[in-house]
Amino acid sequence: MSDARGPNETSTDGAQPGGSEGPGYTTPQAAIEESTPEKVAYVMGLYVGTDVDAPDFLGVVDVDPDSDTYTEVIDRVEMPNRGDELHHFGWNACSSSCHTEGLERRHLVIPGQRSSRIHIVDTNDRRNPELTKVIEPEEVFEHDLSAPHTVHCIPDGNILISMLGDRDGDLPGGFLALDEDFEVEGRWEPPGEIEMNYDYWYQPRHDVMVSSEWAAPKTYYPGFDLDDVEAGNYGQRIHVWDWEDRTVEQTLDLGEEGLIPLEVRFLHSPEATHGYVGAALSSNVFHFYDAGDEWRAESVIDVDAREHEGWEMPVPGLVTDLLVSMDDRYLFFSNWLHGDVRMYDISDPSNPRLADRIWAGGHFGDPAPVQNRELAGGPQMLQLSLDGERLYWTTSLFSSWDNQFYPEEAERGSVMLKADVNPRRGTMQLDEEFLVDFGELPTGPARAHEIRWPDGDCTSDVWQ
Amino acid sequence: MSGSSVHETVLSWSAGHERVIGARADESVLSAAERADLALPFGCRTGACATCTGRVVDGRIEHSRPPRALKDRHLAAGYVLLCIAEPRSDCRIEVGSDVQTELVSNPWK
Repeated sequence: MSDARGPNETSTDGAQPGGSEGPGYTTPQAAIEESTPEKVAYVMGLYVGTDVDAPDFLGVVDVDPDSDTYTEVIDRVEMPNRGDELHHFGWNACSSSCHTEGLERRHLVIPGQRSSRIHIVDTNDRRNPELTKVIEPEEVFEHDLSAPHTVHCIPDGNILISMLGDRDGDLPGGFLALDEDFEVEGRWEPPGEIEMNYDYWYQPRHDVMVSSEWAAPKTYYPGFDLDDVEAGNYGQRIHVWDWEDRTVEQTLDLGEEGLIPLEVRFLHSPEATHGYVGAALSSNVFHFYDAGDEWRAESVIDVDAREHEGWEMPVPGLVTDLLVSMDDRYLFFSNWLHGDVRMYDISDPSNPRLADRIWAGGHFGDPAPVQNRELAGGPQMLQLSLDGERLYWTTSLFSSWDNQFYPEEAERGSVMLKADVNPRRGTMQLDEEFLVDFGELPTGPARAHEIRWPDGDCTSDVWQ
Repeated sequence: MSGSSVHETVLSWSAGHERVIGARADESVLSAAERADLALPFGCRTGACATCTGRVVDGRIEHSRPPRALKDRHLAAGYVLLCIAEPRSDCRIEVGSDVQTELVSNPWK
């Protein structure tokens, strides 16, 4: 990186000085070595689907143990409308585009899953971000797309958003591109390349992108219905794209062991052609890789369904989120219904080895309260510090699905928890001192979803 | 209510309270509630997401476009999507976020 400075050379507390900031780190190893411990976390907070008459918000959580407001939600950027269901979000620039002159890693792109509205938030003042632009749903519907999900910055300052439905919330989904001024450019791919969409990750050095499948928005929005599974309305395939051509080169059907493949994570090394995708309903983790003449995907972790006292059918774990540590050594995933977070050693990517796990919340494992706070949901969205030593998670999945499986969460709100990770020994320990209670906000108990760091994180940064 | 184009619409929450609004035949119940400064849950406003689900217990409504988030069994049970539901008579409708949660239950329980 010639002209961009690492964030450790700038203030990480409060307003950043003016001028051009480095939008990322030159390599994953540089991210580990040069990063300083995270001080604030950006967390989605939501009220959609409840009777609380308030809009969803971007929460700023103080995660600096030396701060007087440690573990508090110190600021909330309220969206201008109710009903968005803020869900996943991303940066205008990450390490993929660190050689692009003049780009700052500064703006968060925050879509509304239900509203299809897209918000741009300026984080120049890290502790007091500001909403600066709103793309209204009509502008998204014009491109026959809805239900924005994963946001990745892509090279040259553009931003790509996976869209799960057409303008009516039906299939097919696709991808929407924004330019560096956050104007809608239009559809990224030729329409019709895929039917279902969800998450995606790209590895530019290998000219490849992998996308996954949830379902049509109209299917998953109201809640989870087994009739839809039987009707084949949920996904079980992943798509391997030619990144330059924007076309699907290969589709891998994961079969019954791969029902509802959600989060896609390549290893961080730009050289790597290995990645993972978690199949939520089958509760499996698939390893996908370039076998030379084709891509292959194999189930490498299988979570057995468990009998629950008083419930009629064995309950799947529901692997809803997973991430790979920045050094590509560990895979973490959440078992949202069962209630554990697992850590696997993936030194051999095709043979993950269970290293450790933590039980917290969920329907199994006799969940203990943290600081006398009853947990009303299972571990869900994960985020790991760049040095791999602190794992954080929230408990909300999706408002209507939460109401089905953890109805108490609507009244109690979500929590954000943390584990201390020892990467050398491969162990985790729940930090009992750390609890962010989204149940205690002035506007009412809120759900908490995805977590991002200002300086790069393990679930969004890509290297060219 | 005078005239045929405005319908007296009783909104009823499970907690027990009720409010009466006048809903025009050419506006959704959600819009009529907003005009009356009443907050109801909503999401997509296009009939795809069911966040705004209500249940008609008396009266007649028509959806201005297909209610894609509702299945036949939901429609048969009187569920409506208030973002696209227009009254065709005086109505009584159960509203609030817990109506949406009635659409689906925990299949493993």
